[in-house]
Amino acid sequence: MALLQIAEPGQSPQPHQRRLAVGIDLGTTNSLVATLRSGLAESLKDTEGETILPSAVRYLPDGRVEVGRAAKAAAAVDPLNTVLSVKRLMGRGIADVKLLGEQLPYRFAEGESHMPFIETVQGPKSPVEVSAEILRVLRRRAEEALGGELVGAVITVPAYFDEAQRQATKDAARLAGLDVLRLLNEPTAAAVAYGLDRGAEGVVAIYDLGGGTFDISILRLTRGVFEVLATGGDSALGGDDFDHAIANWIVEQAGLSADLDPGVQRHLLQLACAAKEALSDSGSVALAYGPWQGELSRERFEALIEPLVARSLKACRRALRDAGIEPQEIAAVVMVGGSTRVPRVRRAAAELFDRQPLTDIDPDQVVAIGAALQADTLAGNGRDGEELLLLDVNPLSLGLETMGRLMEKVIPRNTTLPVARAQEFTTYKDGQTAMLIHVLQGERELVKDCRSLARFELRGIPPMVAGAAKIRVTFQVDADGLLNVSARELGSGIEASVQVKPSYGLTDGEIARMLKDSFEYAGGDKAARALREQQVEAQRLLEAVQAALEADGEALLSPAERAAIEAQMQALRGVLDGPDAAVIETHVRHLTQVTDAFAARRLDASVKAALSGRRLNEIEE
Amino acid sequence: MGNASHFALFDLEPDFRLDQDRLAVRYRELVRRVHPDRFAGAPEREQRLALEEAARLNEAYQTLKSPSQRARYLLSLQGEELSQETTVQDPAFLMQQMELREELQELQDSADLAGVARFKRRLVQDQEQLNEGFAACWADPRRRDEAERLARRMQFLDKLFAEVRQLEERLDD
Repeated sequence: MALLQIAEPGQSPQPHQRRLAVGIDLGTTNSLVATLRSGLAESLKDTEGETILPSAVRYLPDGRVEVGRAAKAAAAVDPLNTVLSVKRLMGRGIADVKLLGEQLPYRFAEGESHMPFIETVQGPKSPVEVSAEILRVLRRRAEEALGGELVGAVITVPAYFDEAQRQATKDAARLAGLDVLRLLNEPTAAAVAYGLDRGAEGVVAIYDLGGGTFDISILRLTRGVFEVLATGGDSALGGDDFDHAIANWIVEQAGLSADLDPGVQRHLLQLACAAKEALSDSGSVALAYGPWQGELSRERFEALIEPLVARSLKACRRALRDAGIEPQEIAAVVMVGGSTRVPRVRRAAAELFDRQPLTDIDPDQVVAIGAALQADTLAGNGRDGEELLLLDVNPLSLGLETMGRLMEKVIPRNTTLPVARAQEFTTYKDGQTAMLIHVLQGERELVKDCRSLARFELRGIPPMVAGAAKIRVTFQVDADGLLNVSARELGSGIEASVQVKPSYGLTDGEIARMLKDSFEYAGGDKAARALREQQVEAQRLLEAVQAALEADGEALLSPAERAAIEAQMQALRGVLDGPDAAVIETHVRHLTQVTDAFAARRLDASVKAALSGRRLNEIEE
Repeated sequence: MGNASHFALFDLEPDFRLDQDRLAVRYRELVRRVHPDRFAGAPEREQRLALEEAARLNEAYQTLKSPSQRARYLLSLQGEELSQETTVQDPAFLMQQMELREELQELQDSADLAGVARFKRRLVQDQEQLNEGFAACWADPRRRDEAERLARRMQFLDKLFAEVRQLEERLDD
């Protein structure tokens, strides 16, 4: 993905320096960081000139942590302290991990939040902490390359990640000291990079088979707007499964016992992975393990992975149905993710969509590049009115438990985000004063087959006869795909709400402890960082308000209102360079309060402006 | 934007016949202005407002895009919500519903994919007929009962379509 020229000759909406923002592809096997420099999107290299950082983390007895190639190389000799493919564990409980259906060469311990912690020589580590190590390396790489502090990052996640997996990714970024501008779905990121690079329009399908996850997204591209029509996938299907299939075959052929020690497991997986890669170019590959020698033909390999490929095709057909699109309406099929190098995978996609898929875009880098492009827009570096816009969907249905342990869908899958939707319920017993709200995610009808996201209670409902109370439950999903649920009894106005914290996420206590442990926050550094963050926040607000005043102050504010805002700005500027984060915060809050109404009026005016210059008779036939 | 109708939001006259392409163009123009991505660096309050506006816009767009939801919405604009009960006082339709469901059951039992495709094509034709019928009568207050009946039939067909999709998924296993 060499030349991605964005027509933007040094233009910036405000006369301040360019804000440093990056896109991060936090992958199962490999991770990358990319950014936009003088209009060109590029992946950033480490000091040795490498862009790809293997997603491998090794905990050493002396307290050091190795990330990347060195850690990956040590996986077979130090399997218990070296974590590979940690993404497969994100947002999952111990029971889920066992359902992954393979032996993982780790020892697990359960934390207070039922998340699987990996026992290492440095103590138990959660998947979130392990991921944070990878993100931290990429953050430092970016800060060194760009010579400054980042305003934030767009981090990509598989489109089919559920609420818990998304929240876990955000938590990892927080631990790594990164401000997340947006979680972006990987196939959407790929579509952005592909679409802008080729100037593509129309309906495209992104087939994204990575190390541990599979996504299919169908998008409509219209002049810079990327509208996801449907997405589907399997968050536990990827190249790792191909490796496991080959490793199991070796175990069988070599007559090894199924109960292998972790070092042997790692070794076999490495053998399997090398064989898989070799089979992309040759018809067969020779294998040896101990005294056993054998040969794996491409046909045999394809037979081994056939059930896995079939799973991906099934998800494709479902996404097509959800999008209401026939295969022949698709203008292009783009292959993303390292596992699409496997010839059988390419052939399968070609057959399903009845066209040759595009494989000339670097499948390893395209996601990070797309994320960098969006990060640049979100950081405010884009040109007004022409920046790209991504309209994504929720991959899984969201709903509530109703009578009979049934799941009632409130927001069906593939609904455009953001979305807010309300449903009304009532009491079923006379005098009932509380109601349990059980929030679920999934496509199945029975509660037990769906993922339980949260439970909370609405209390203090005035006693009434059964069916008289009216309880409105509102679901709101933001642009990151994260859910908020609130419930309100309409007669009394009693209210309760939760920021959904998935059962398998970290508890707030665990996060607090990890933040404290993280050396980036040690001692006085913590206070310094808080002050710095507050100053950045204040500066950002001042710039935003200044720009808003210049654009619309005249039209939308009375002289008195404007004077009040300007006075508050002056006050904030006065404390900005002071040593006290709390004082700055107070002034930020005051300024936000006086600009409240102005903000609402601007949004309103903006929408009216989009429609202005048109009359009804113009838009009727 | 306050409580303006979904139609007014898109600067359209309330009507059942709607130019879908024009609606889509208008939607993209509007959502560019209010999408939370445009407010990533803005104060929290503005971000929240943008989230609410974008959600409202998406809701309006979804409602107008779907003929059955648009029909229902038009009726509600005339003052009265369409009640939830579906088949009351429409015995002919009740019969037809039962027949269609039986047919779907048979298709499932015989795992007949070609039959499912034919069944779907028939439903699409039925849908088009209902749309024609509704377009002709919804604006006339004297024909409100007829319009309501057609709107309910549309909703039923929507549900049947969803069931067909589920069946296709099961047959895909």
